[in-house]
Amino acid sequence: MPEIIVDNLTHTFGKGTESALTVLEDINLTFESGSFNCIIGTSGCGKSTLLKMMAGLFDPTDGEMRLDGEIIQGTDRRRGMVFQQDAVFPWMTVSRNISYGPRLRGASKAEQAEIEAKWVEAVGLKGFEDRWPRELSGGMRKRVDIGRVYANNPDILLMDEPFGALDAQTKERLQADLLDTWRETKKTVIFVTHDLEEAIFLSDSIIVMSARPGRVHHVEKVSLPRPRTDEMRLTEEFLAIKRKLWAMLEH
Amino acid sequence: MDKLGKLLTGRVALGVLSVATVFAIYIWVTNQPDNNPALLPPISDIVKSFWVNLESGSLLTALGASLFRISMGFIIGTTLALILGCLVGWYKVIEYLFDPLIEAVRPIPPLAYIPIIIIWFGIEEFSRVLIITIACFMVCVVNVIAGMKNVPQVYVDAASTMGANRFQVFRTVAVPAATPFIITGYRIALAAAWTTLVASELLAAQNGLGFLLQEGRRYFLTDQVMMIIIIIGTCAFIMDRIFRMIQARLMQWSEARE
Repeated sequence: MPEIIVDNLTHTFGKGTESALTVLEDINLTFESGSFNCIIGTSGCGKSTLLKMMAGLFDPTDGEMRLDGEIIQGTDRRRGMVFQQDAVFPWMTVSRNISYGPRLRGASKAEQAEIEAKWVEAVGLKGFEDRWPRELSGGMRKRVDIGRVYANNPDILLMDEPFGALDAQTKERLQADLLDTWRETKKTVIFVTHDLEEAIFLSDSIIVMSARPGRVHHVEKVSLPRPRTDEMRLTEEFLAIKRKLWAMLEH
Repeated sequence: MDKLGKLLTGRVALGVLSVATVFAIYIWVTNQPDNNPALLPPISDIVKSFWVNLESGSLLTALGASLFRISMGFIIGTTLALILGCLVGWYKVIEYLFDPLIEAVRPIPPLAYIPIIIIWFGIEEFSRVLIITIACFMVCVVNVIAGMKNVPQVYVDAASTMGANRFQVFRTVAVPAATPFIITGYRIALAAAWTTLVASELLAAQNGLGFLLQEGRRYFLTDQVMMIIIIIGTCAFIMDRIFRMIQARLMQWSEARE
């Protein structure tokens, strides 16, 4: 089963120049297979940079990352990513977006149709198959985005503040739906956010990062029972974790 | 039906109104007792010139010759622009290779090549098509490059993380994302094709719409000159409309389809 390891990773922008800026320093992390992990931290702590490196969008200046012992280099369909910005292709219908990944690898019409049917349903977009993205709301487009990554069947799901731009209700709904999908597929998820409540609600484990340079400050295990429900957001246990993390981020 | 009604009271009606106003003013001016018909021929003379030239076959021959030149120049020029523009806009090495060249040549008006083209190739059909080709290519290639350079990074990253290789990103993301720019480039190229066509025919042609214009000037046939101007305007307008229809079809997905 896929396990991702970050080993002694340091990243410096503009290394060797006067304006060199170290954004990440001595990061050591292990993400267990099938776990749901959140990375939180104030802006400037390098959490998005770390995620993009795991996706292979660029390389760290020092240290390495391994997926099942294999060094991560360049992008790969095994490491799927959902972005904060809207990344749904506006020139493809909902269905065509969903089956984009399989189509890259030459999936037959029948296979595409099967994948489209499955994931359109799974992300709750039945009836919108042939719509253009411009006809959908922000929340629905995020569903297309998530469905498209899942339909591509990666081992690891990297999510960079995917719900950051959505209103509170839509966000909570999408969080709950994401957990449902995650429970069924058991893929390792690494989710970057600055929203404490979101992190606690979703995670098995929360990595708290400190800023300038970004370091791992603390790892919090969340033992709230699963499946998680919206009522849990108000329990004493939930709030205790929230107070603890809040104090850490404010320090 | 509702939509049609709205169109008739809105856009189309206003467009017709403005064209009709210009005609009305023209008719009014030409009807003034002190108007000189040799300078401003009345509409009736222009229509008569149209029939005379239509019946003698000279108008259709000229129109055919001009449309042939435009089509050839436009198709060759924009096709080359599409191919080179995509490569320059997408591959850094090719960009560094061609960018200075394109930037240096871009400000030169295509008509400036006419003398050298005549010296090299003579007053042949090839020369006229070549000038139109150059004009279409230059205005189109700039737009194609801009389109390829404005592909949002997040689409490229999304495709890459789903396993697309560099060429697949180019084919499935960059080209469709650049379509709005590319279509604009084609439309500007079409306008440039008309401009250069008439200029090249004025200078060196034995037929074509530009030739009829020149002939009208030489024999002081102002009605013929006016008639050809109206024909050119109408043809360019119809072509642009056809282009807009193609654009609307290709751009169904876009927020800004006009």
